[in-house]
Amino acid sequence: MAESYRRSRWSHALFVVPYLIVFLTLLVFPLFWGMWLSLNKVDLFGGAEFVGLRQYARVLSDPVFHQAVRNTVIFVAVSVPVLVGLGLFLALALNRKTRGAAFLRGLYFSSTILSVTIVTLIWRIVFIPNDGLMALIFAGLGWEPIGFLSTKGWSLFSVGVATVWWCIGLPMMLLLAALQQIPADLYEAAALDNASKGRILTRITLPSIKPTIMLVAVIQIVMQFQLFGQALLMTNGGPAGTSRPIVMYIYETAFIRWDVGLGAAASEILFVIILCAAMLQYWISTRKEEV
Amino acid sequence: MKRLLIGTALASIACAGMAGAETTIELQRFFGACDADFGNVTDVSQAVGECGIITALVNKFEADNPDIDVNVTTVEWPGYDQLNAQLASRAAPDVVSMHYSVISDYQTRGLLDPIDDVLAAQGMSADVFTDASLAGVTKEGATYGLPFDNWTMLFHVNMNMMQEAGLVGDDGAPILPASVEELYEQGMQFKEATGKPYLVQILANETAAYTRILYTFLQQQNADFFADPTAIKLTTPEATNVVEMLKKIYDEGLTTTDMDYPAAVSGFSNGAGGIAVNGTWLIGDYTAQSEAEGNALSGGYTVYPLPQLFEGRDSTYADGHGWVLPKKDRSEEQLEAIGKLFKFLAENDFHWARTGHLPAVKAVFEMEEFQSLPHRDNIAEIAQTGQSLPPEVLRQFAIQDILGEEIAAAVHGDKSVEDALATAEKRVNDLLANI
Repeated sequence: MAESYRRSRWSHALFVVPYLIVFLTLLVFPLFWGMWLSLNKVDLFGGAEFVGLRQYARVLSDPVFHQAVRNTVIFVAVSVPVLVGLGLFLALALNRKTRGAAFLRGLYFSSTILSVTIVTLIWRIVFIPNDGLMALIFAGLGWEPIGFLSTKGWSLFSVGVATVWWCIGLPMMLLLAALQQIPADLYEAAALDNASKGRILTRITLPSIKPTIMLVAVIQIVMQFQLFGQALLMTNGGPAGTSRPIVMYIYETAFIRWDVGLGAAASEILFVIILCAAMLQYWISTRKEEV
Repeated sequence: MKRLLIGTALASIACAGMAGAETTIELQRFFGACDADFGNVTDVSQAVGECGIITALVNKFEADNPDIDVNVTTVEWPGYDQLNAQLASRAAPDVVSMHYSVISDYQTRGLLDPIDDVLAAQGMSADVFTDASLAGVTKEGATYGLPFDNWTMLFHVNMNMMQEAGLVGDDGAPILPASVEELYEQGMQFKEATGKPYLVQILANETAAYTRILYTFLQQQNADFFADPTAIKLTTPEATNVVEMLKKIYDEGLTTTDMDYPAAVSGFSNGAGGIAVNGTWLIGDYTAQSEAEGNALSGGYTVYPLPQLFEGRDSTYADGHGWVLPKKDRSEEQLEAIGKLFKFLAENDFHWARTGHLPAVKAVFEMEEFQSLPHRDNIAEIAQTGQSLPPEVLRQFAIQDILGEEIAAAVHGDKSVEDALATAEKRVNDLLANI
């Protein structure tokens, strides 16, 4: 062991240099550059002027940003439990060694590989008025049509439905993998004790996959806070900004209005929000164990 | 073997020599991609629609100038995100399509080259262009783009439905409103007779149409809402008049609702309403549809400028498309090739005008072929009544989005008209104050 230690050389660090270069160039440098930009008045083509925390004051006093934060928080608060709950349900239902279950696992995961453009195209066909699937169903039932993409409330709901359909594959697969790691002898012991299905679920299955449920929840919180493409392509943030998420606010300020400093400040705030939300979820999930 | 090597080397040198003689122009544009239909078309008269005609024009130019290769990149409309990234990374194309309303943003940041010398080298003078189009590309006394057209919003009229509603005069022309009250009356008459809404509007997802209509009817009331190009004035009776009119049209069911751009275009094609409020670029397609049998527009389509609804003056908001040169180093050969391309595009502006856009070249208005195009006499007045925003107003696309969003909120009842206009004014002025 000691000889092995003596044989170690600083030159061995060269093996991690390629990764370090990529990490520093594509992650660390942009992170700090973004922070620097948020302290400047700057457009897309440079000409930075240091303004201190003024951009943060502008963002935090902007009602459009407040609305975007509210929309995003509501979206995350609704979509993440649905994704985790539905993912868990599908994983439990498809945790069987049958051909049918294997086929359905592939089917449910298939939507995940589609690009956001295709996903929104599909769901626009469902939700558009007049010739859309929902419009035809409503007309067939004699119901008053709903402008799913252009009515307050429904627009964010429609974006949420498309998002859940698109993203459900990953939670399902992660939870399925966790379910298959549970030792079979636990279930055998439960069967010997004549435990009910509900008791097996709450006393064996869910506690065994709890770390994965937490992982899925944290991943989904981080992902859904970054909602952008679906809202941009399906509703353009409307009507009246009721489906505009934070990332779309950042896009509009930085790239449409060329107000890069303001966009960078909003990005830093989003970074802090995501960090806090993920930490809160982690803290809630681990609190009981510590007690 | 030795002969083979020598032969190969000579062939390579010959090829390199030939390649060196070819000048390449990197051209980036919107207007869509249609290579499958028009990729090999060099007879421009055979092409239709914006995409077809610009594709055929470039093909024809390349065929006429075998020493010039035009490498076309098609971008999703309007393509400015991509252009910004290219400019920021100093990898901009040679020639780019650009709206007149956007040119000031780039020109004030020193991102465009003037084209006066390029035109002069081809013996071209700015006098050949219409005043309206030239105003769109002239900044601080220099020309920053080749004017290509002027466009505006129009009333596309389904004459079959107007006939059914009793809104066609003895002269065969549609009876269009001359005041706000007449608009409501005729709208109700149309709705009662046909059971369909009077107007087909783009009211969902894309809200730019609201802004263009607002500008038009503010201009008609002589409202100088951009007297100061760094601050908009919208908390005015004139702006309230316009938004209240739009809201009443919506509330009274005189317009289609919830339609986004594609839905509104196809909705009018399928007889969803009497009058589509949409752009010049659809004239060619709707005219072609009206010449075919068995559809809602068969034998019954015409088009007019937005009517003068307010006392003041006849005016309509107009913008246009031009070709600009992003700032970069170019060789003499490249500049000459670009000059030839610009001259070719100006000389063939008639073909572009077949899309429905108004020509940027004065002489086209006098051409018999242009005058014989369907409905052009109805809209020719836009050359005089068309008016853009002051060129000093920056970020016009961003302003358009903000205004559209707030007007839409008022029309849908999500905000009061006063609140929406006050919020729009505040948001636009915050944007302009921080440029």
